[in-house]
Amino acid sequence: MTAATATKTKPETAAQKAERKEDFIPIFKRLLDYMTRDEGAGKFYLGMAVRFVAVAALIAIPFMTGNAVDAIAGGDMAALQAWLMAALAATAIFIALSAWAETIFSKLATTALYRLQMHLFGHLQTLSLSFFDRQPVGELMSRVSNDSEAISIFYESAVSQLIRAGMQLLLLLVVMFFLNWQMTLAALLIVPVMLGLSAIIERVATPAFAKMQEEMGELSGFQEETLAGHKVIIANRRNDWAAAANEAYAKRVFDVGSHAFFSSLLQTPVTMASATMMIILVLTVGGLLVANGQLSVGEVIAFMGYAGLLASPLSIIANLTSTVLNAIAGGRRVFAIIDEQPAVKDAPDAKDYEFKGGHILFEDVDFSYTPGRKILRHNTFEAKPGQKIGICGPTGAGKSTIINILTRYYDVDSGRIVIDGQPLEKLTQRSLREQVGVVLQEAYLFSDTVMNNLKYARKGATDEECIAAAKQANAHEFIMNLPQGYDTMLTERGANLSQGQRQMITIARAMVAQPKILILDEATSNVDTRTEKLINEGLARLMEGRTSFVIAHRLSTIQDSDRILVLNAGEIIEQGTHDELMARRGFYYDLYMSQFKGKGP
Amino acid sequence: MIRSLSRTFIIFKMYRGRLILSQVLLLVSASSTIGVATLTQRLINDGIIAQNLEVIIDIGLWMAVLALVGGLSMAATAALAVFFAQGVAFGLRKYAYDNIQTFSFANFDVLRTGNLLVRLSADVNYVMLAILYMVMLVLYAPFMVLVALALTAIFAPSMLWLLILASVVVLGFMALLLPSLVKAYYERQDKLSDLNNTMQENLAGMRVVKAFVQEEREVEKFHDRAEAMRKPAYRAAVRVALMDPMLIMITQFFIALTLWVGGRQVIENMGLELGQVVMVMQYLAMVIMPLSMLAIAVPFILRGDTSAARIFEIIDARPFVQDKPDARTLNPEEMKGRVVFENVSFAFRRPDGKLDPPALKNINLTIEPGERVGFLGATGAGKSALVNLIPRFYDVTEGRITIDGVDVRDIPQENLRQMVGIALQEALLFRGTVHFNLKFGNPEVHDDVMIGAAQAADAFDFIMALPQQWDAHVARRGYNFSGGQRQRLAIARTLTAQPRVLILDDSTSALDVATESRVQEAIPRFTDNVTTLYVAQRISAVIDLDKIVLLQNGEIIAQGTHEELMESNQLYREIYESQLGAGLKPSSREAAS
Repeated sequence: MTAATATKTKPETAAQKAERKEDFIPIFKRLLDYMTRDEGAGKFYLGMAVRFVAVAALIAIPFMTGNAVDAIAGGDMAALQAWLMAALAATAIFIALSAWAETIFSKLATTALYRLQMHLFGHLQTLSLSFFDRQPVGELMSRVSNDSEAISIFYESAVSQLIRAGMQLLLLLVVMFFLNWQMTLAALLIVPVMLGLSAIIERVATPAFAKMQEEMGELSGFQEETLAGHKVIIANRRNDWAAAANEAYAKRVFDVGSHAFFSSLLQTPVTMASATMMIILVLTVGGLLVANGQLSVGEVIAFMGYAGLLASPLSIIANLTSTVLNAIAGGRRVFAIIDEQPAVKDAPDAKDYEFKGGHILFEDVDFSYTPGRKILRHNTFEAKPGQKIGICGPTGAGKSTIINILTRYYDVDSGRIVIDGQPLEKLTQRSLREQVGVVLQEAYLFSDTVMNNLKYARKGATDEECIAAAKQANAHEFIMNLPQGYDTMLTERGANLSQGQRQMITIARAMVAQPKILILDEATSNVDTRTEKLINEGLARLMEGRTSFVIAHRLSTIQDSDRILVLNAGEIIEQGTHDELMARRGFYYDLYMSQFKGKGP
Repeated sequence: MIRSLSRTFIIFKMYRGRLILSQVLLLVSASSTIGVATLTQRLINDGIIAQNLEVIIDIGLWMAVLALVGGLSMAATAALAVFFAQGVAFGLRKYAYDNIQTFSFANFDVLRTGNLLVRLSADVNYVMLAILYMVMLVLYAPFMVLVALALTAIFAPSMLWLLILASVVVLGFMALLLPSLVKAYYERQDKLSDLNNTMQENLAGMRVVKAFVQEEREVEKFHDRAEAMRKPAYRAAVRVALMDPMLIMITQFFIALTLWVGGRQVIENMGLELGQVVMVMQYLAMVIMPLSMLAIAVPFILRGDTSAARIFEIIDARPFVQDKPDARTLNPEEMKGRVVFENVSFAFRRPDGKLDPPALKNINLTIEPGERVGFLGATGAGKSALVNLIPRFYDVTEGRITIDGVDVRDIPQENLRQMVGIALQEALLFRGTVHFNLKFGNPEVHDDVMIGAAQAADAFDFIMALPQQWDAHVARRGYNFSGGQRQRLAIARTLTAQPRVLILDDSTSALDVATESRVQEAIPRFTDNVTTLYVAQRISAVIDLDKIVLLQNGEIIAQGTHEELMESNQLYREIYESQLGAGLKPSSREAAS
C-alpha cells in the first residue's frame, strides 16, 4: 500500500532499505520528468549542448595559457599575444554560453518545481477525507513543504551542477589522456583517495544531519509545547523543570549539531589537500618527463591547470550526493501522495443528484472509520421533505459521523442511504454537495475578504446576494462595523473576529450556497447569550422550508424538531418529538433534566 | 556594525585559549596554502626548468607535508569554529528560554509565543551560521590577501597593481551581485511562505472546500501563488548559478592579463623571470577565492546580527510581576481561603507596552472560605481577567486582592500559587505519561491523592481503560486525548496539587452536562472546604452554586443565588431563557415538572 510509505516515520527495516536502493532510478527519472516534459525536453537538450560548448571553452583556456607561458619562455611576443587573445576569446565564449545555459536550466528548474507543486496540490484536492484523517494537518503540511524544498534544491542547483561537473570531468579526462597519459594517470592516482574520503564524510555527515534535524525537531516541539502551555507551567510552578528539560534538549542539539557540522566541514580540507597532492604528482611526473625531454615546461603548466580543474567537479559531485539523496527521499514521499487513490470515488454509472423535495432515508447503516471499530450501528431513520431532525447524545456517540456519511465524505460499511429515491452511492459527489449545505462546528474562514469568503459558497454569486445572505444571518451589521466593511481582510482562520461573528459568517456563507438540504453542527457553546440569539435566528431562517439535520450540544436548539434522534454508542436508542421523548422518561429525559441540576422548571 | 552579535562574543572570552588556537591554526592552514604556491613555483624554476630531479622530489615532499599540515589545521579550525557556533547557539537557547521561564502572563502578551518560537529557532540558527563564518573567514581572507600582496610586493613588485586590481574587481562584482541575489532570495522565501500558507489553509479547511465543491477554485488560488513564486525563484537561482562562472571568468581574465604584462617584462628583459609570472598567477587564485567567500559570508554575518538583537530582546526582558523583597511566605496548611477584592481595577497591556482600556472596574467581592462561586457573563466581560488576578498572573492596576487578609502582592509567587490552583479552558497536557501530567503541580505527592483527584475529575475510569493506565503515553499537548478527556485530566492535575483556593476557568466547556455535574459534585468530597471559583459560559455549570456573580463590561452587575438572580436580574433571566428555556413549549414544561 502506497499510503503506508507516506505516513512512515519509524526507522526503516532492512527490506525497506533494499527497496530504497531499488527505486532510486525510477524516482530520479520521475523527478527529472517534470523538468523535461513538453517543451522542456528541447530546452533541456539545448541547455546540455550549450553547456558542453561552454565547458569545452573552459578546458581550452589552460591549453592556451600554457602555450602563452611557452611563448614567454621562447621570447616570442607575437605568439604570446596570439595565445592570450585566444584565451580571452575562450573565456568570453565560456561566460556567454555559461550564462545562457544557466538561464535555461534555472527556467527549467523553476518550471519543474511549479509543475510538481501544481500536480501535488491538484491531486490533494481529489483525495477523500479519510486520507487527511490519517495525519494531523500540521504534520502533512510540514512534510510536504520540507520535501518540496529538498526537491527544489535538487532542481535549482543539483541538476545543472551535476551536468556541468560530469561534462567537465569527462572532457578533461579525454583531453588530458590525449595530451599525456602518464601525467593523467599520475593525476588520477589521488582521485580514489579523495572520493573514498568524501564517501566516508558523506556516510557520517548525512545521517548526522538527519539526526540533528530530529533533535532540533524535538527541541522546538518541546519549546512550542511549553510556550503554548506557559500558563500551565506558571500556574503549577514548574519553571525549573521546563528550564532543565530545555537545557537537556539544547545540549543534545549541541552534541549532534557539532558532530554534523564538523563532519560536513571536513569536505573542504579534504578537497584542498587532494587538489594539492594532485598538483604535486603532476609536477613530479611532469618534471621527470621534462628532464627526459618528452615535454615542455609550458605543457606541464597547462597540465597543472587541468589538474586544478579536475578537483572542482569531483568535489561538486561529492558535495551534491546528499542533496540528491534528500531529493529522492522527498520525491518518494511526494509521489506516494500523488499515487494515492481517493477512497470515495464516483461510481462509473454515477448520475447527478436530482432534488425532489429532500426526502432522506437511512436503512440499517453501519459505519466505521477504521475497520473493526464500528462508530454507527444499524442506523435507520427517515426525514420527510422540509422536516427538522435533531440529533443528540453524549460526546463520542457518533453524531458528527452522520454528517460525514450523508455528504459522502466517507462511504458506509453496509446498509444504504437513499435521498429522494436515489441511492447515495450512485450520485456524483459534486452534485450531491452542491445541494447539501453544511455549517460546521469549527467556523472555518479563509484569509481573504469577508465578501470573498461569502462568495466562496457558490461560483457566480453576486455582491447583492451575499449582502442579502449576511442580512439574513444577522451578520450584516457587524460586518459594516468592520474597518473596511465587506472588504475587510480576515486573518488566518478568521482570528480577528470573535467566535460568534465567525459563526454568523459561516451561516451567511451557507445561505449563499442556496442548498436544498442542510446539516448544522451547532456550535454556540463559547458564545455569549446575545450573540447566540442572533446566531439562532440566522439558523432558523436558513432552515426554513428545508430538510435539515441539527446536531445539538444544547438541547434547547432541537426541542422544536419534527424528530429527535438520540444516539448512544453509535446506536439510535430513542427517536421522536421532544414531548414524546420526555413522556417516555428514558435516556433523553435524563439528559434533559441533568441541565437543570434540580433547579429546573 | 555588529553590536548585538558581539554580545555573544562572551563565549570567546570564556574559551580564550580555544579562540587563539583556532585562529593560529587558521593562519597555519593559510600559510601552508601560500607555502604550497611558493614551493610550486620553486619546483618549476629550480626543478623542472633546471631539470634537477633531486630538487623536484625534495620540494614535492615538502609540498605534500605542507598540504597535509594545511588540511589538518583547517580541519581543527573547523572543529573549533563548530564548537563556538554550536556553543553560542546552545547558550542562546538556554539563556533565552531560562529567561522566558521568569516571564509573567503580560510578557507573553507583549512578546507573542509565535514570535518567541521564531526567535528561539530560526534566529538562533542565523546567529550560529554567522559565528561559524566569522571564526573561519574573518581572519582568513584578509590574511591570505595581505600575504599574497606582500609576497608579490617583495618578489614581483611590478605586478602588485594586478593583484590589487583583481581584489577590487572581485569585491566590486560581489557587491553588485550579492544584494540583488539576497533580495531575490528573500522575495522567493516570502512567496514560498505565501504558497505554504495557502496550502496550509486549504488542508486545514478541506471540509469546507469539499462542502462547497470548490476544489477548482482552490487550485486556481494555489496556481496564482505558485506562479508568483516562479519569477523570484528564477532570479535567485540564476544569480546563484552565475556566481561560479563569473568568478572563473574574472580569474581567467586576470591570468591572461598577468601573462601579458609579466610576459612582456620577461621578454623585454625588464628584470622579471618566468617563474615570478607563474607565481603571481597562483597568488591571483589565493586572492580571488577567499575574497569571494568572505563576500558571501557578509550577508550571513549581518543577518546574524539582526537575529542576535531579536534574541537579546528576550534575554533582556524583565517579568512584569515580581516578588517584593520583603514578601512573606505563608503556610498553605493554615490557610482558610477567604478571598477579598477591594476596589480592584485592571487593564491588559498591549504589545506596544501601553495599557488597554480597563478590563475590570471597581470590583468589590468577598468570597468566604469553602464557598462555591460561579462567574457568568459574555465573552470579554472580564471573568477570566478577574480570576487571573488571584494567583497574580497579572497584577491589579488599582485596589488590592487579599487572601485571608494578606495582600497577594506581599506573598511570594511560588508560595501563592501553591495555595491557589487553576485549571484553564485550553487544557494543555505535556508529553510524558498520565502520571507525570497529573503530578505536574506537585511531583512529591502520594499516589492516593492523584488517584482521588482523578476520580473527582471523572478521569479515573478512562485512565483505567488505557492499556498502560497511569503510565500511558501523553503526546505533545495531549493530542492523543479527546478535548473532554484533556479537560478532565487538567482538572485532576489541578486537584492533585491540593490547592486551598481552586479556580476552574471555563475548564469544563468540552464536557457534557452530566459529566460536568459529576465533577462538580465530586470536588467538595475530594478536598474538604476548598474555596472554589467556577468561570463558565454555560448556565448549567453555575446554576446550583452558593453564589453566582454576573459580570458585564468589566463590572459586577449582580450577585446572588440562582433563585435570587432569576428574581432580580433581567440579563440573568435572558441567559437562562436562551440556554435552557428557548423553544420550550407549554406541554414539555409540564412533562418536565
